[in-house]
Amino acid sequence: MSEQTFQLEAALKIHLLLVDDEPEFKEVMQKHLSRMGIRLSVSECCLDALEILAAHSIDVVIMDMNMPGMDGIQCLRKVKERWPLTEVIILTGHASVKSGIAGMESGAFDYCLKPIDVRELIEKVELAAQKALINQEDSAS
Amino acid sequence: MTLVDRFLTTWRRFLRRSPAPPRLGPEEGQRLFTARYRSFRELLTANANTLEAMAELEKALRDGRTLSMTFIRARCTLVTINVYKIVHNLNKIADGRYSELERIFARLQQEIETLLVGNLGRTEGELVLDLERIGRGQADLTGEKMANLGEADTIEGVRIPPGFALTAVATRLFFQRNQLYSQINHLIQQMDIGNLEDLHRKSAAIQELIRACPLPPELESLLFTHFDRLAAARPGCKVAVRSSGLGEDLGQASFAGLYHTELDVDRDTLVAAYKAVLASKYTPRAISYRLAKGFRHEETEMCVGVLVMIEATVSGVCYTRSIGNRGETLDLFCAPGAAQGIVDGTRSTGHLLLERTAPHRIVGRLEARDAMATWLTDAQATMLAETAMRLEHHFGAPQDIEWSIDPAGTLYLLQSRPITANALRPPATDQSSPEDERILLHGDVTGCDGAACGPVFVVRTAADMLRFPKRAVLVVRHPLPEWAPLLKRAAALVAETGSEAGHLATLSREFGLPSLLALPRATEVLTNGDTVTVDADNRAVYRGRIDELLRAPAPRPNPMDGSPVQQVLVSVLKLISPLNLTDPAAPDFHASRCRTLHDITRFCHEKAVVEMFDFGERYRFDQAAARRLQDTLPLEWWVIDLGEGFRPDYDARRREVAIADIACTPMQALWAGMHAVAWAGPPAAGLRTMVSFLFQSALRDSLDPSRTSALREKNYFLISQKYCNLSMRLGYHYAMIEAMLGDRPGDRFITFRFKGGAAGEDQRLRRIDLLTEVLEHFGYRIDRVGDALTARVERESEQLVVDRLKVLGYLTIHTRQLDLVLAETGAQRFFRDRFIQEIGDMLNHE
Repeated sequence: MSEQTFQLEAALKIHLLLVDDEPEFKEVMQKHLSRMGIRLSVSECCLDALEILAAHSIDVVIMDMNMPGMDGIQCLRKVKERWPLTEVIILTGHASVKSGIAGMESGAFDYCLKPIDVRELIEKVELAAQKALINQEDSAS
Repeated sequence: MTLVDRFLTTWRRFLRRSPAPPRLGPEEGQRLFTARYRSFRELLTANANTLEAMAELEKALRDGRTLSMTFIRARCTLVTINVYKIVHNLNKIADGRYSELERIFARLQQEIETLLVGNLGRTEGELVLDLERIGRGQADLTGEKMANLGEADTIEGVRIPPGFALTAVATRLFFQRNQLYSQINHLIQQMDIGNLEDLHRKSAAIQELIRACPLPPELESLLFTHFDRLAAARPGCKVAVRSSGLGEDLGQASFAGLYHTELDVDRDTLVAAYKAVLASKYTPRAISYRLAKGFRHEETEMCVGVLVMIEATVSGVCYTRSIGNRGETLDLFCAPGAAQGIVDGTRSTGHLLLERTAPHRIVGRLEARDAMATWLTDAQATMLAETAMRLEHHFGAPQDIEWSIDPAGTLYLLQSRPITANALRPPATDQSSPEDERILLHGDVTGCDGAACGPVFVVRTAADMLRFPKRAVLVVRHPLPEWAPLLKRAAALVAETGSEAGHLATLSREFGLPSLLALPRATEVLTNGDTVTVDADNRAVYRGRIDELLRAPAPRPNPMDGSPVQQVLVSVLKLISPLNLTDPAAPDFHASRCRTLHDITRFCHEKAVVEMFDFGERYRFDQAAARRLQDTLPLEWWVIDLGEGFRPDYDARRREVAIADIACTPMQALWAGMHAVAWAGPPAAGLRTMVSFLFQSALRDSLDPSRTSALREKNYFLISQKYCNLSMRLGYHYAMIEAMLGDRPGDRFITFRFKGGAAGEDQRLRRIDLLTEVLEHFGYRIDRVGDALTARVERESEQLVVDRLKVLGYLTIHTRQLDLVLAETGAQRFFRDRFIQEIGDMLNHE
């Protein structure tokens, strides 16, 4: 049993989807994640994200709660309803206990506050990746 | 515990145990156990995150730093989400047997949310109110300034300009209709408040956002109706559009000059002026002021007053009690024309001192002596004093009044608000200023008394502001409110113009910042980078550092004390941080007794550990059940094998395990450290400590060493061949050690987490100090917040990680109950030296 190895390996095995409409943030994350060798897709709104999820096998989603189009919680619920094995990390520019707990109750894996500490987010991505792979293994067995 | 309780507990236990535990096949058992173990790990991570965020909140309150709602909201959200995860995972581990906690958690979460959101005030009510319909009772609708003005209108002999107020309901309607709150909050949360450049950029973005949004049609139409009504009686009239924020009513906070006033506004520019005043809530100076004084942006909603412009021949400011409380006089400042130049500090002003009591004799003329007589007659000065004292009498406290007199000689009141408390502080006892050649400038007006020393930094532009070094002497031409964001950073303020009545002077008094005004040529005489001493008491600036003047600086007031934001933090911490469930053996260590998030955290951690190790009892699953580890120390150890943690020849049917049966390398290293030096038992305390300890033990049996140190406390190892997780009781919390000794550098790490202890705060912190010193000495990286400690070793060689584990093993044994003796003088140093010596010997010996 090698937890740490598992986490690093897990992040490299997954397909990650970043849903955010802030160009600066997307750029920073794209740079970091691709440098780590993580396969990444990007979308700017929930509707696009749902299309990408339908077309590809996505393991982990990083999703901003405040985006044009659809309410973040609604979008999260849709994702978890259709792809329960996918883990979702939610981001928010405005911390609120209520929305945070609503996110967790809707099945989010974790919650991150903007401005993002990239190291912290990547640690969470690793843990979410590990969880997503376990979900897939469990559902296969 | 009553007999009935005892009976019920036993009966429940009997009921719970009566059905035979389900028998699981080895594979099913392993799968179930693995799932629980994952939840356990998630719980431990959430537990560590909770304690860390909690410690940050406690520390923020203790060290009196500038508190922002963004910080408090973010930390509270982190704590709450992590406690949610803890409860959620405990229920997964325990098959939902702690669902009661969910209800308690939901209630606490709701209460915390309510405190954080705060009272956002009325969203229903009139959008626009005529001034004559406004009194102090409407302050929560129109802001303090307009409410006071409307109230003053009822006082005999007081006249105010005709006008109306746009209420907080109007502002909320405008903001909500345009979804401005969420966009603004988003920008504010991401603001780097220590970075002035970022502050300016985000402030500009917010103001632009507000100015670009359309007014709701019903509001715009009301605005024009009221304006047209004013104009009908005075054709061609112009108005002043002024701010009147909510929450400006504390005597400690003046909000002086922070918000915008637009003068000479006509019908065409009315809407733009209204939005400009609303936007001025988010200027850099207003944002940093609210932050420094602990005001919430949400609760300082901007209301706006629209007042007919008075054609002023002379205007000014009056303090009904002289600044510095110098005797029974009132201050009267005046200048020709409108009042703006006085409060901006850009104009030279006349200053009269009058007696507070009738007939209000003039007892002093301090500045601009020649011109003053032509600006204001003695009769007008007396009339002003009379009106001012009437206002003080009506409002029940010394007032800061703005006024204008029109060509017909009619006196108009423009504003009346309480004088900030610091302004009334008696002046410091006179110090004789050293008369020597070191005097660079000899000045005129003390804005706020005190003395300070620092390098000169002249600020002329917004770009200069960004370069302003901390603790420098701020030197400006005019004391404009724009410079307000620098007051918290500056050591002292020097300005070429201005008076005590200026906004920046008012703010300097609130911040306790020594300030000198009306020092002509200051920006030329003082050179950037030169060290000077500003002696505001004696109105002089000296070259270099003059220690005798600096000897006893008056303590600066902490602007956070009693502030709304601090009160929010104090209130939420009451729901978060007190720990009531301290003794797991006590009968009230029960889910229903959790009163705070800390209680829930503590309770869940305890129960999760127990549940993990009860697994073998609840399910008949021999392979995963815990084994009791044989030891010579009076401590109880239990071990669960997660896979290849026991040697292949170990007989799995045995209930006990010896250290020789353990194949886990990190556990072996820890164990070696624990047993390298014999433990002498609880350290011998000095007489004083022992007496207090015995006394406390009598009160709280959880402190009794015969109970806490011995068999009653179980400590748990979860192991595989290369991984070890130890939950060890140390004080009120488990100390957590997680270690991995893999082949690749990334697979080698140690994490040690610990919070709190059994003794008082001082001793607890001393134990953390001691642990920190020793662990740092042996190469651990330490993150410490309050009494929460995390120590890490990562990516080191195998031998080094083994050695570091031995260090940790040694410390977990030898610091047990040490906090009880650390109160003794020199004890900390004594133990530190002894530990470093013994650990060094242990490592060298091998």
